[in-house]
Amino acid sequence: MNLCCEGENIREIWVNDMTEKEMKSDVEMKRVPLFIDCDTGVDDAMALLCAAKMKSFDLIGVAAVAGNVALDKTLPNTLNVLALAGRTDVPVYKGADKPLARPLVSAPHVHGLNGLGGVELAPSPRKEEPETAWDALYNAAMEHEDLVLVAVGPLTNVAKAFIKYRELPKRLAKIVIMGGAAVGGNTTPCTEFNVVTDPEAADIVFNSGVPVVMCGLDVTLKAYLTGDELNELVKLGTPQAIFSYQSQQNALKYELSKGLPGICLHDPAALFFAEDEAMFTARKAGIRVETRGSITVGKTVTDLDSDKKMPYREHRVVLDIDREAFRERLFTLMRKYGEV
Amino acid sequence: MIVRKSNIQTFHASTEHPLPIILDGDPGHDDAIAWVLVRSRPEFRILCVTSVCGNQTIEKTTYNAGRIMALLGMDVPLAMGLAKPLFRDPIIADTVHGKTGLDGPELPEPACQPVACSAAELMAKCLEESEEPVVIVPTGPLTNVASLLLLYPELKSKIRHISLMGGGIARGNWTPAAEFNILVDPDAAKIVFESGIPITMASLDVTERALVYPEDFERIRCVGNQVASVVAGWLEFFYHFHQSLGYPGAPVHDAVAVTALLRPDILSGRDLYVQIETTGEFCRGATVGDLNRVSGKPANAYCLMDINRDAFVDLLVDAVAYYG
Repeated sequence: MNLCCEGENIREIWVNDMTEKEMKSDVEMKRVPLFIDCDTGVDDAMALLCAAKMKSFDLIGVAAVAGNVALDKTLPNTLNVLALAGRTDVPVYKGADKPLARPLVSAPHVHGLNGLGGVELAPSPRKEEPETAWDALYNAAMEHEDLVLVAVGPLTNVAKAFIKYRELPKRLAKIVIMGGAAVGGNTTPCTEFNVVTDPEAADIVFNSGVPVVMCGLDVTLKAYLTGDELNELVKLGTPQAIFSYQSQQNALKYELSKGLPGICLHDPAALFFAEDEAMFTARKAGIRVETRGSITVGKTVTDLDSDKKMPYREHRVVLDIDREAFRERLFTLMRKYGEV
Repeated sequence: MIVRKSNIQTFHASTEHPLPIILDGDPGHDDAIAWVLVRSRPEFRILCVTSVCGNQTIEKTTYNAGRIMALLGMDVPLAMGLAKPLFRDPIIADTVHGKTGLDGPELPEPACQPVACSAAELMAKCLEESEEPVVIVPTGPLTNVASLLLLYPELKSKIRHISLMGGGIARGNWTPAAEFNILVDPDAAKIVFESGIPITMASLDVTERALVYPEDFERIRCVGNQVASVVAGWLEFFYHFHQSLGYPGAPVHDAVAVTALLRPDILSGRDLYVQIETTGEFCRGATVGDLNRVSGKPANAYCLMDINRDAFVDLLVDAVAYYG
């Protein structure tokens, strides 16, 4: 059930008993088809591991894009993480190797040179599909009228799909992105990494005339695990938990050095929002992306608190999260790897 | 409320040692109320007043400045600022401040004419003549202050502090990303923020919390003197526009820049590195604050974030009571 959080600062408290809910969902609920676009990436990897175990979603495809590291790493990382999740049934598609109009500036200082914090995964027996990421997204949307898109990397693939297929945006039931920030930044003072990496692509997506949920730094800086909680995670003892722990160490060190209270799980936050909004607070807004400024290229400009409003205001900016509920959901999903 | 100490604004005004101050604004209802507050306090020694184009044309803001000075008995020189922003055409806010730029109650005619020199020249003269460094309180676009810095860089050391109303770290008003004063002359704002002069920034982040409610208008009117009834009338006019946008009161933006010098204890904020965007499609005029410290640059502004509203209103009531 998706609780509506569209009003001003409405906060829904997470009260569901997940186990009971999921048991019910097995019987009653149809799985919603999910397509993930990512630049795997340590937090992308966490999102994939979680998505692979979600009963509410049917993961029908994953596309890789250049971002945290180059495409020649994000593509095998995506395949290998899905294999680690035991999901070699999920097709993986190759996306763009660079942003639409700019050179790629990646983030190996956060994600490690290989994108997975230096952890080497066993190569997946599965190879990527021959289709491009944008064709695959379009075909998935044509096949499933309730398709949910969760895009947690630069929006290059999605923008290419929107440019190639005019009718695609309206065919998607829900678009949730990890990216941007109504306030602040992590790459420059006013920009977030995914959006500043391909600002033109992000603006195409926000300006496509369909609602987009922006899970940006406003909320994802609050969706963190502390070092202690990461230590709890590794105690689960599964290969997936051990990988999560090991791959996050470099990013954890980096984020602690920046004064953050732990490792931010940006991408899982966007995925969890797509699954169930109950633990989040969001507000409707207009959103556009600056592509021409001298110091603001890549800033997601919202009209949340401005007297002047934008013409299109159907997007939502996610602003807050019940961190306890977030952590619980994450652990619930990760525990499933130990179950027979 | 949390009171955070600033390493940028380390002082406040005191009666034992009044601060020499220059008022630079585009009155404007909230500029006018800011000046009512300044004039009422023994902690300030006003050196001069300069007008700037912003809320209305330079002719109108200069005329309004003269009328406010007559109302308040401010016997200091007034100089007219430039007719337009440094490199751009003017933008006016007649939807907010009316045709005259200060619509509402009737005011006395100016007691004297503006001096013959430019705003920057008058500021420079006051700085030169002042034995101690001066605080400038700009409550409009920063055109005059930037002109002063461009023309008289050697006088920078005579400027102790700039306590300005402008910008918004988390919000805009005239555009989604920009506040009016900075948007009107972003090039001037860039010069000021890059000057190295310590800045206190009363941005929309705090000034939209500095709300004076309709019941407060009555409290002010009941003080019973001429200034009180004029201020109540200004607030009513100013509120009218904001009410249509859903505000529960009138945000008296400019008076916060003065409050920062008088009562830092009722404000909180953060020292931040602030840059000005002068171009762009959506962000022209944005004040970019490095909230997450990703630039590695030292802070150049004390950015106010919150205010004790009740104490702010009390301050304004006390200010009008000064006038008899």
